Amino acid sequence: MGIFKKLGWFFQAEKKRYLWGLFFLLMADLAGLVPPRVIGILADKMGAKQLTLTTLFSWLGFLLLAAIVQYLSRFGWRNMIWGGAATLERELRTQLFSHFLKMDATFFQRHRTGDLMAHATNDLNAVQNVAGAGILTFADSILTGGTTIVAMLIFVDWRLTVVALLPMPLLAVMARVLGKHLHSAFSESQAAFSRLNDKTQESVSGVKVIKTFGQENEDVADFEQIVAKTITINKKVYRIDSLFDPITTLIIGLTYAITIAYGGHLVVTQAITLGQLISFVAYIGALVWPMFAIGRLFNVIERGNASYDRVQALLGERSETVMAKTTTKQPLHGDLDYQVTAFKYPDDQRLALQNIHFELKQGQTLGLVGRVGAGKTTIIKLLLREFDHYQGKITIGGRDIRDETLDSVLAGIGYVPQENFLFSTNIRDNIRFAAMTKSQAEVEAAAKESAIHDDILNFSSQYDTLVGEKGVSLSGGQKQRLSIARAIMTLPEILILDDALSAVDAKTETEILTDLKQDRDHKTTIIAAHRLSSVANADEILVIDDGQIVERGNHQQLLANDGWYAEMWRKQQIESQLGGESRGPETN
Amino acid sequence: MAQKPTNKTVSTKKSATNDDQQSIWSQSIPVKEQSQIIKRMLKFSLPFKGLFISAILTSAALAIVNILLPKLLQVFMDKYLTVRTGTTRVILGFAALYLMGTILKAILQFTSNYTYSVGAEKSLESVREQLFRKLHTLGMRYFDLTPAGSIVSRVTNDTMTIMDFLQVFASILTGTFAIVSAFIAMHALNARGSWLVLAFLPLLLLAIWYYAKYSSWVYRKMREKLSELNIKLNESIEGMSIIRQFRQEKRISQEFEKTNGEYLATRKAMIRTNSLLLSSLINLLYALALTLVLGQFGLLSQHQFVEAGVIYAFTTYVANFFNPMSDMMDSLSALQDGVVAGKRIFRILDDDHLTPQQHPDAAGTIETGEIEFRHVSFSYDGQHEILHDVSFVAKPGETVGIVGHTGSGKSSIINIMMRFYEFYQGQILIDGRDIKDYPMPELRRKMGLVLQDSFMFYGDVASNIRLFNPKITDAEIEAAAEFVQADTFINQLTNRYHARVIEGGTQFSSGQRQLISFARTVVTNPKILVLDEATANIDTETESLIQEGLRRIRRGRTTIAIAHRLSTIKDAEQIIVLDAGKIVEHGTHDQLLAQHGRYYQLYQLQQGQTE
Repeated sequence: MGIFKKLGWFFQAEKKRYLWGLFFLLMADLAGLVPPRVIGILADKMGAKQLTLTTLFSWLGFLLLAAIVQYLSRFGWRNMIWGGAATLERELRTQLFSHFLKMDATFFQRHRTGDLMAHATNDLNAVQNVAGAGILTFADSILTGGTTIVAMLIFVDWRLTVVALLPMPLLAVMARVLGKHLHSAFSESQAAFSRLNDKTQESVSGVKVIKTFGQENEDVADFEQIVAKTITINKKVYRIDSLFDPITTLIIGLTYAITIAYGGHLVVTQAITLGQLISFVAYIGALVWPMFAIGRLFNVIERGNASYDRVQALLGERSETVMAKTTTKQPLHGDLDYQVTAFKYPDDQRLALQNIHFELKQGQTLGLVGRVGAGKTTIIKLLLREFDHYQGKITIGGRDIRDETLDSVLAGIGYVPQENFLFSTNIRDNIRFAAMTKSQAEVEAAAKESAIHDDILNFSSQYDTLVGEKGVSLSGGQKQRLSIARAIMTLPEILILDDALSAVDAKTETEILTDLKQDRDHKTTIIAAHRLSSVANADEILVIDDGQIVERGNHQQLLANDGWYAEMWRKQQIESQLGGESRGPETN
Repeated sequence: MAQKPTNKTVSTKKSATNDDQQSIWSQSIPVKEQSQIIKRMLKFSLPFKGLFISAILTSAALAIVNILLPKLLQVFMDKYLTVRTGTTRVILGFAALYLMGTILKAILQFTSNYTYSVGAEKSLESVREQLFRKLHTLGMRYFDLTPAGSIVSRVTNDTMTIMDFLQVFASILTGTFAIVSAFIAMHALNARGSWLVLAFLPLLLLAIWYYAKYSSWVYRKMREKLSELNIKLNESIEGMSIIRQFRQEKRISQEFEKTNGEYLATRKAMIRTNSLLLSSLINLLYALALTLVLGQFGLLSQHQFVEAGVIYAFTTYVANFFNPMSDMMDSLSALQDGVVAGKRIFRILDDDHLTPQQHPDAAGTIETGEIEFRHVSFSYDGQHEILHDVSFVAKPGETVGIVGHTGSGKSSIINIMMRFYEFYQGQILIDGRDIKDYPMPELRRKMGLVLQDSFMFYGDVASNIRLFNPKITDAEIEAAAEFVQADTFINQLTNRYHARVIEGGTQFSSGQRQLISFARTVVTNPKILVLDEATANIDTETESLIQEGLRRIRRGRTTIAIAHRLSTIKDAEQIIVLDAGKIVEHGTHDQLLAQHGRYYQLYQLQQGQTE
């Protein structure tokens, strides 16, 4: 029941809704008591041939009235209680989402997208169930159960009530026990489903290998084996699931049998009338659901509680981004001074960066090169305030970026990430993502500078073309160029290209870089690249290996140095002739 | 009437989400097409008709038991209670009889539920198998055009809805049985009363029709909003660094809140619809019918004796008559889901991007492994020619090296030689015989392909070398691994050949994966070898092992090698330089050097590097 307390804030806020809900529920229950009793009374009167037309019509009118009250109250409580559940779900989803928006990179490293999605869908569903089905079953088992039992006591006979209700608690026990078994069987079934999913995934991804080795039939056989196992596991679920109805029938049947025996005896001994017995039998039917609900209630509560705790744990996590000392949102500008002596990723013992020191005057270009995993992106991430717990200091225009607001640090930076993430909206809104008020002309200017304008004109709806599954599928190079357009849209003081030209051919790359150079006079650019031609014109190039600077200088100096850079340069020249070019190790 | 459980489905079942459903949720399918899809989907259950028939029979029997039990009570009341002649023996006898009836009912309920579920499960899994089998008959073109995620979702998620889809028919069938049997029972008790109840049927059908129509509209709206909401959520999580970097938290949050609110509104509309029309309405109609029936009996009692038991039994049957209705109405939305999913399933089953076909009477066997390309031209889409008039001959045991830019058509040579894609111009001959005259298994047995990226399967090292071929012994696996020098690193693994390989084999370096895939090819001992050399950076230690491995597996085999490093093919008998799908230079290493053409230039560059 702790979950009801935990959700107290919500019930408090929605007090009116739930009070009305409960009121309607009570009304519906009271109205529900009428038909069984009326049937019994009329049966008695008819049996005794005492039924006058006036009595008949007044009872029928009463019945009709009860029916209308019941309809209205049912409509009422359903809307109130299920609506409450839906409202709670929305409320929690809002909380989660705005929390996600506040979290830093560490948080998203710790929780994978799939897990976060599961929290936002499955867990929220389990919690909203508490506010809907949970409240309903709880109230209903008390209200319906209570009123029905009272009606049995008042209208029929207390001895019959006590004896006949003896097997009823078994219903609650059954619902609880079977519910538990069903839950664990269901978990197994889900695991089987995952296996099936993984198998399919693997076969689709590895279809070329399977074809190469001519093993299509064997793969199908393997799949069929997994399917056979899945069927066996699912049969268990169905076996348990199919038990609910029959066991309910048996328990209720037992109650009926007791009622027949003892009630029959009472009628014969004239302790009650036959009509009362008839009413009693109908009341038993009304008790099935509340009893059943008690058992189900435990399962709903248990799951809702676990889910709520998980959601709260997520909401309790704090961002490690350092609080700003100012509140200004003015973008920083000026020289960049990067002095980081040591940085480790959270939950990792190894040093990710060591002694990275460089200065970049406003308007200069920096090149970052090195093997995959050398630390190029990490250097950028610190500048982007994704992690703040490094030793050293990064300043822009003499101001420590950790002292400033995220707004003022990041608003001055245009970032083109390695993974090109575009949103499933149209091309225009993707380009002006950071500045939705910009005009079409400005969007086109950015697109031209990123050499993507002509491609866009070839799409069916041009700038209105949707990106993503429902729209056009873009090539890697097109995505990269769109990301560049998005980044330069805000005319940033610092532009960062993180291996952002890997899928663009050499000619277009030169075009883009030349354009950027011209347009971004007096503005700073940082280019991390696998392809060295991207950085050849930079004022300074840092060769990073294992989180440290191993070579530095401009292109000519590094060639003369005849180290890693010079070797890579020659190798890439050949590869570009042979066709291995433009394939960074991670694109394929 | 305990109808409350039905409502739980409204709030839980429908929150299940499937991202790529959105596009299809926003469109509606014409009625004619719907009924065709439904018919075709029902055919999936044909092989399991035994189960379904027994489920239907038991549910019919159940309907009969359901009218017999009240009948039993009626007899008990009218014969023994009204006149108070029931002795203890009689009373206990009836109680026992009723209990036995209940036990029978429970058994029937279980059998009917269980057999129906198992039948549905088997239908569902058989659809999965059909889909999976169909996938393996599709050519590579299909896999190029369709994202892997959506294929997987067809096989696993869409098939799931078949379960609910069949449930619709179950509830319609059991509902019909219950209604018909209740009517017959009422008719037997009191004909006039039964007609009164039956008069409600058109009203009920109207309610069902209206509900189905209106709710499916609301329901579709709700699903659309939900999937929009989840797409937004998913996208925002994945693109969080972008949102943060560009300071768009506020805007994204507002957009999300808007969708969140819209979803809440559609959900509330759904709840309103359900509370207005679903079980509440059925219950109201039931109460009206009950009033009429009681009125009828009341009037009858004015001039004729009406037994209490009859009233009991008749009113119970009225409840039986109305009870199944809300179940039926509630399950209708699953019909929609099923049709939508069915449409997508059939799209795969009807897909005709089939894998290239061999000649029907193909029966050749590859003996020497001579390969000839004769004026082969090829295009993926029928418009842009990728290979143009390519001809060359590789004698048995020879190596032909192919060099060229990205997009020059190198990989296409492999793709058509491996019969991944069909070509329509020219001929490929093996041992002087058209490649299409060999049965596919023969081609697969005699031709080995080493791919650029070495795909690893979940399992262990041995199973990744053996794949599904049970004829390969452990000794052969070890020999193959030794041959390509993969044994050194495999022996260092804790369980050696039984070391687990996780998804994608990510615990191995790309070089190690490459070695395992070499062993995979070597162990099948192919006559012809097709090599696609990896361009990816490989750690220097394994690099030399791989070069050595490549040299070894080529020995004694006709090899077509696509090379990115000239050293790999320097000693090849022939080297072909491809450009824009055409052969621009052709000869041995020395001949090509003497030509002072493109190959010569490349070689000069390479020399500069290896100094």
